[in-house]
Amino acid sequence: MAKSASEPGGPTAEVRSNPASTGGYRLIGRRLPLVDAALKVTGRAEYTDDLKRPGLLVGRLLKSTQAHARIVEVEVSAARALPGVAAVLTGERFPTPFGVLPMTHDETALAVEKVRHYGEWVAAVAAQDEETCEEAFRRIRVRYEPLPVYDDPEAGQRPVAEKIHARALRDTNIQKEVFQHFGDVPRAFREAYAEVKVQGRFAGVNHGFTEPHCVLAEATPDGRLTVWSATQVPHYLHRALSEVLGLPLHRIRVIKPEVGGGFGGKSDPFPHEIACAALALETGRAVKLLLDREDVFYVNHGRHPTRNTVRLAANEAGEFTALDVEALLDGGAFSSFGVVTTYYNGVLALGPYRLPAFRYHGVRAYTNHPPSGAMRAHGGTNIRYSLEMAVDALAERLGRDPLALRLQNLLSANTQTVNEFRITSNGARDCLTAVRERSRWRERFRQLPFGEGIGVACGFYISGSNSPIHFTPRFPQCTVHLKVDMDGGVTIHCGAADIGQGSKTLLAQVVAEVLGIRMDRTRVAAVDSDTAPVDLGSYSSRVTFMMGNAAKRAAEELREILSRSAGEILGHPPEEMSFEDERIHREGSPEVGVDFLTAVHRAMEHRGALVASGSYESQPMGGTFKGAKAGTAPAYSFSAYVSHVKVDLETGFVDVKKVWAAFDCGRALNPLAVEGQIEGSIHMGLGQLLSESMDYRGARLMNPSLLEYKILAPQQMPEVECLLVGGEDPEGPFGAKEAGEGPLIPVLPSVGAAIHDALGIRFLDLPITPEKIFRALERSRRDGGAKKPPLPRETTES
Amino acid sequence: MHLETFELHQPTHLEDALAVASSHPGEFDYLAGGTDLLPNYKMRLNPRAHLIALGGIPELHTFAPADGTFGALATLRQLETEEAVARDYPGLVEAARQVATPLVRASATVGGNLLVETRCFFFNQSPSWREALGYCLKAEGDRCHVVPQKERCYATFSGDLAPSLVVSGAQVDLLSPEGTRTLPLEELYDGRGDGIHRTTLLPGEILVRVRLPREARGRPSTYRKLRVRPAFDFPELGVAASLALEGRRVRSLRLAVGGLETRPRSFASLTDPLEGENLTDERIADLARRVQAAVRPVHNTFLAPDYRKRMTEVFVRRALTDLKEAS
Repeated sequence: MAKSASEPGGPTAEVRSNPASTGGYRLIGRRLPLVDAALKVTGRAEYTDDLKRPGLLVGRLLKSTQAHARIVEVEVSAARALPGVAAVLTGERFPTPFGVLPMTHDETALAVEKVRHYGEWVAAVAAQDEETCEEAFRRIRVRYEPLPVYDDPEAGQRPVAEKIHARALRDTNIQKEVFQHFGDVPRAFREAYAEVKVQGRFAGVNHGFTEPHCVLAEATPDGRLTVWSATQVPHYLHRALSEVLGLPLHRIRVIKPEVGGGFGGKSDPFPHEIACAALALETGRAVKLLLDREDVFYVNHGRHPTRNTVRLAANEAGEFTALDVEALLDGGAFSSFGVVTTYYNGVLALGPYRLPAFRYHGVRAYTNHPPSGAMRAHGGTNIRYSLEMAVDALAERLGRDPLALRLQNLLSANTQTVNEFRITSNGARDCLTAVRERSRWRERFRQLPFGEGIGVACGFYISGSNSPIHFTPRFPQCTVHLKVDMDGGVTIHCGAADIGQGSKTLLAQVVAEVLGIRMDRTRVAAVDSDTAPVDLGSYSSRVTFMMGNAAKRAAEELREILSRSAGEILGHPPEEMSFEDERIHREGSPEVGVDFLTAVHRAMEHRGALVASGSYESQPMGGTFKGAKAGTAPAYSFSAYVSHVKVDLETGFVDVKKVWAAFDCGRALNPLAVEGQIEGSIHMGLGQLLSESMDYRGARLMNPSLLEYKILAPQQMPEVECLLVGGEDPEGPFGAKEAGEGPLIPVLPSVGAAIHDALGIRFLDLPITPEKIFRALERSRRDGGAKKPPLPRETTES
Repeated sequence: MHLETFELHQPTHLEDALAVASSHPGEFDYLAGGTDLLPNYKMRLNPRAHLIALGGIPELHTFAPADGTFGALATLRQLETEEAVARDYPGLVEAARQVATPLVRASATVGGNLLVETRCFFFNQSPSWREALGYCLKAEGDRCHVVPQKERCYATFSGDLAPSLVVSGAQVDLLSPEGTRTLPLEELYDGRGDGIHRTTLLPGEILVRVRLPREARGRPSTYRKLRVRPAFDFPELGVAASLALEGRRVRSLRLAVGGLETRPRSFASLTDPLEGENLTDERIADLARRVQAAVRPVHNTFLAPDYRKRMTEVFVRRALTDLKEAS
């Protein structure tokens, strides 16, 4: 079994800080290696596939060979009879639908009645080994009756012969349709001095995490079910298992071992998790199920293939007056986060610029593609790309410098957007001025040789969804328990999933900071549902903000207890106690103090272990209109990037030379971790921009492998200059906001804009492959030759 | 994914390998580095019941750059790290360095790369993917999905070393129960001209070594590879060129391409007439256009065939221009 507690701080160097440079904090604001880094780089960290249990069986899932078909019969008796096979399941055994959003449960553990995409799972086998599973598959006969296949969300808006899901709207394949209108958009366009229209097209992309999904489930004779899974949200998995399998929550234990990347792709409860648990229950044994990469592409839940149209209007002064957005999302076969994605593809356009009027029409249609879902910067990248391209086009129309035009239109701090997002801290202006100076924007924009260019773009993102998916809405969004025993070690129990982003490190840092102890005195027990209080999971960039606040409050509660103990020993009032360097002493008199362990032992007298608890619950916010909660957050990150590219004019290959990445995450709790997030985001964003694409011919995915799905090679990474410019957020823990998703957003449009600066051609169809650039250059040569757009006067003057 | 069961044979002499092969006609593969064969086996692409591992046969490991001789089991890492190779056969090293990744190159071999399986979008897929489509000529099926018909397989030759070795005039020594023979490397690929029957190897014949002629040593050469990423990817186009000038006149000019058709191709009929000529930019451009016109890629790899064709002109022109300028 996995050890769920790690030893933070073990081999990590704890450099003594200069408190003046970190706002008086010893650990907060320091560049600290992640607490589990040594375990990971030495191969000692345990991922789900590393785990073994007595009598472990191998589970495998049979893929559909049809894109859309009624299941006439699944004949499994010959497979069941095969020696070595312990169980064979089909969809009817556990047909209860589930899904990440309570209102759109449309996934099942195994296909029931029909299959809706190639690779959907129709049967599950548990056997002594993989070979036997494969032999069992050869003995399973599935009879399909093919149905019309839908691979185009556009067509899905019209009446269809066979709806993919009965719950789709009317007689179409529309899963969700959103209309929003704030201010008077038609009037703003009538009165506009200038307007632009941009139509973007975006291929679907997959998260491309390193570790394929893996789950191990064990049913034990005490009537309990334990499930280890590579998940971002143990709590939702716990709920889904309970609902589908009909077991009470307290008889299910969910453990999250180390996770090799998630990026949103492990945040839904997944069919294979339920199916594996079902196999364990059926056999009364332990079953492990590891997906191969092709399965990962089929289960997908990645970024939606998207088409959008953005119209932006401005007055003569260059102030934006209205934004009109249409988006059409290819939802694939299931709903997943789709309702949220549909809203986000509109409302996440509403920062960081002032937009007094906004209209949005968003549609998400089911297709027979693998399901789309949430992916890092969920709902934010595609609309952002088109919007930033529109801002650039508008700047060109107005003869303005695009960076200056952005500066002119920024939202201020402590304001509200037209759709009632509450904006508190806002470092967008600092971000833009930082990249302007560092990139020497004024000397370069429109002035580099043809084929070379520089581009700017902004972004913003939610720092934790304010209205999370919550089954018990009056519970806090995150709770942290602390327990101290006689060894003086502080065990931190938390349900937040560390998926590589560093939440364990953050917990250790926050608790150690508040208690004035070394990080290696803490140990993070995350995540085991038997001991961890609920956290709503690692998505929507909520963990730093919400878990950080919960941990801080728990530690503060413990500090109060220890202040009283130390005060008793020292004969001074508890409110005079100060915590630092593993000691508790009288404020201003370090010599009048006791060491931490002595205070702990005093506090334990006649009461046993010390426990404390803290939680975070955000305030109600957002308007009262339909969909008003979508995109509300207790804080927002802000960003501005400038990118520098060089394009090979004969081949169309883009060399991204440098990215200046300014990011406002409030106070960076661990700048090293934040920079890691920025660099990783740039790698991921450039992949979507330049080469990654779920390449379909009809409903068939042509490239379900990491060889043909083109994630950037390391050599393609540009030099990155991270500029952490934020101030302090008033509500974030120690002033911090998110840094896990927002950093992805501006890289795509800033490079898109740089390509435009290089060639005078604006590419709106992602990925921008070399071939597309080659074709566009060829067309422009026929039309008299591509050239640099004119230099706005403002660029050199401002 | 796992490998299906096979019987592994580990001969230590060439004759023993041939003997094992002849006792399992049509039911074996020779195993060199395994970096391509074993992934294909995992995908159930024509796996055989017998694998004859050649690693235990000492003479296949010959690595003698000074003689221009490389055993079939010399690794790509050996090629790319040995200074003598870089000095004497720069284009070969450029090609070796662009194969896959450093980890793969540590195992991958010269012989394996020369005989690497041809590739196609409709072939290099999992069993259930191919089942859903209805299989293809090259494995378990009776039709081609690239160029719909039932006769010819269009799978693409995807080795990087062959074009480089061809322009250096490499010969290959082959051994079969019939005896030893030596062929110009290019003739190795004079099979039946499709992606399945792609070499002239006899049943059970072993590629023993590659030999480069003395006159190739030190001749300027280069290799240009088109692919989406500068690592991992197989060639969508590979252009090898070698050029020897006497003064400003061409003494020897050779050109070969891979990654476009079912076999690597050279263009003697286009390059030979340039011998003795002054290699002007115009002549280079003209040659590049003629090569582009001659090649026939199909849509079975990541990049579209027309783009690969157009890039052939660019890559040939750049390769020759660079060689000319370096001379």
